[in-house]
Amino acid sequence: MNQTSAVPIRPLESQTKRPPTKWKKHIWGYLFLLPAVAIFFTFLWMPIGKGIIFSFFHIDFVKGDSFVGWANYSKVFKDPEVTISVKNTLYYMGLGVVIGFWVPILFAIAISEMRRFQGFARIAAYLPYVVPVVVLYSLWRWLYDPVGPINRVITKLGFDSVLFLTDKAWSMISIVFMETWQTFGSAMLIYLAAVLSIPRDWYEAAEIDGAGIWKRIRHITLPAIKNQIVLLFLLQLIATSQGFQTQYALLDGGPNNATLTYALLVQRYAFTRQDYGTASALGVLMFLVLGLLAVIQYRMSNKGEA
Amino acid sequence: MKTTDRGILSNYDLKKPGNKIVYYLMTLIVLVMVCSMLYPMIIIFFNGVKLNTEVNSFPPTFLPSEWHFENYHKAWIYIKLPLFVRNTLYIFAGNMAMTILVVGFAAFSLSKMNVPYKKVIQYFFLLTLFIPPTTYIIPNFINLRDLGLMNTFWALWLPAGANAFYLLLLKSFFDGINIEMFESGRIDGASEPRLFFQIAFPLSIPIFATLAIFVFSTAWNDWYWPQLILSSDQRYPLATAIYKYVVNVRRLDLNLKFAILSMITFPPVLVFLFFQKYIVRGLHLGGVKG
Repeated sequence: MNQTSAVPIRPLESQTKRPPTKWKKHIWGYLFLLPAVAIFFTFLWMPIGKGIIFSFFHIDFVKGDSFVGWANYSKVFKDPEVTISVKNTLYYMGLGVVIGFWVPILFAIAISEMRRFQGFARIAAYLPYVVPVVVLYSLWRWLYDPVGPINRVITKLGFDSVLFLTDKAWSMISIVFMETWQTFGSAMLIYLAAVLSIPRDWYEAAEIDGAGIWKRIRHITLPAIKNQIVLLFLLQLIATSQGFQTQYALLDGGPNNATLTYALLVQRYAFTRQDYGTASALGVLMFLVLGLLAVIQYRMSNKGEA
Repeated sequence: MKTTDRGILSNYDLKKPGNKIVYYLMTLIVLVMVCSMLYPMIIIFFNGVKLNTEVNSFPPTFLPSEWHFENYHKAWIYIKLPLFVRNTLYIFAGNMAMTILVVGFAAFSLSKMNVPYKKVIQYFFLLTLFIPPTTYIIPNFINLRDLGLMNTFWALWLPAGANAFYLLLLKSFFDGINIEMFESGRIDGASEPRLFFQIAFPLSIPIFATLAIFVFSTAWNDWYWPQLILSSDQRYPLATAIYKYVVNVRRLDLNLKFAILSMITFPPVLVFLFFQKYIVRGLHLGGVKG
């Protein structure tokens, strides 16, 4: 990575400045850093580096690894499941935005306006986030059941019952809906803090100038939380692009690969097919795409702080 | 978060009938949201005390027609919850120790000590934030295997010290502590570890409390990764055990499933209600820093 290219620039300058006796002065500073450097190296940088190397190897725990060149990569580009999983992941990311992204913004604004029970609404919204996800898997399987409570409401309203999980057209939507329900509370708290920190006199001034409620929201509230919106949007894209646990736990990528996301395919290559080399190659390709997104996010979040 | 006399709407707005309808409509939406949040929570508990036939019946009932608290007894026998809770607490304690000693020391050094090449070291840590976990999850698995850490708690504890996000949070908190405190400590002859434990750490209790909540919720929630690297009941944390023995087991009666789930749902909910303040602040930190 970049850290090697950054190294040679500094040493000259600081060595000339500092006489060798001062080295002792810094020993504690380095001793404090040493464990973290060792741990970061062993458990983050080494796997990252190994991942790139593994992507050119066939990994065999028994017979040993053998070099295969670009074979893993060419396998990736030939595998129709990779195409499916990329499409599914993009669909999943898109659904996350369409179904989920605006929900916390809406509720943050609504709750900030409540004159009573604001704290209660805030806690209720965050509550599912506290419950272990494994509990939610069981719970939602029951809620989504063909004869479960949600279908009870639907049939009562006179519609046909929906096979939320086993119908190809619904399975991904059901997963996104569940995840939105589970996680919107934390995003909402961030928006809420931002909304509540908007100076009240801005609204006062807008009101005196004759701006209606919608105009106040559009021209004051939303611009004031723009940084949070952009930041959480990018964070959501980064998170959903790597999502696989709900898909794996509820449906194992089914029905008929309808919820097979890219990250889930990586797991499948590694732990079902024991093809760790190709799984690593998929990971490297993921890095090339997501690294770009992450850099943009970092730029944005630094701007937000200033 | 103070309650002020006005938000987007002023009291004058609320006097107009049209706005009043908007206001009540909005309150109604929030109310619906609150109900949709609470219903599933409560139903976990109610389903846990129903008869199995009632849980499976159509239409589903909300309140149980009979209260069968013996379900809890059966559930308690079915799964060794104390063992799995103990494992979870081990994992939490180890991860927390790593966070304080490894991440805390490094953040302290970067923030309050004079080390040459500080920028380079900082990049070494922070660049890891740019690399998506999907990229290194598989090599990380093989790496832990090569290191011979499979099926040991060390496989979870040691990597817990490699968290650039916590490092960033801690460093920015330490940055806010006045440097003079440490300088006067140094003049009085205190060693650096002493400065850390007797000045920096006590002053940073709020941020460590927030991190403790993060670390705890990871230990309590994470089921996928432990399931890959651990392989015995003596090691599984609660979430993994529940996933293996409850969520994915078809023979287990639904009412017993829900009884087990309610037993592990309510402790974290109670903890959350007590420590709400810290959790909310932690979230805010997380949101600002990304």
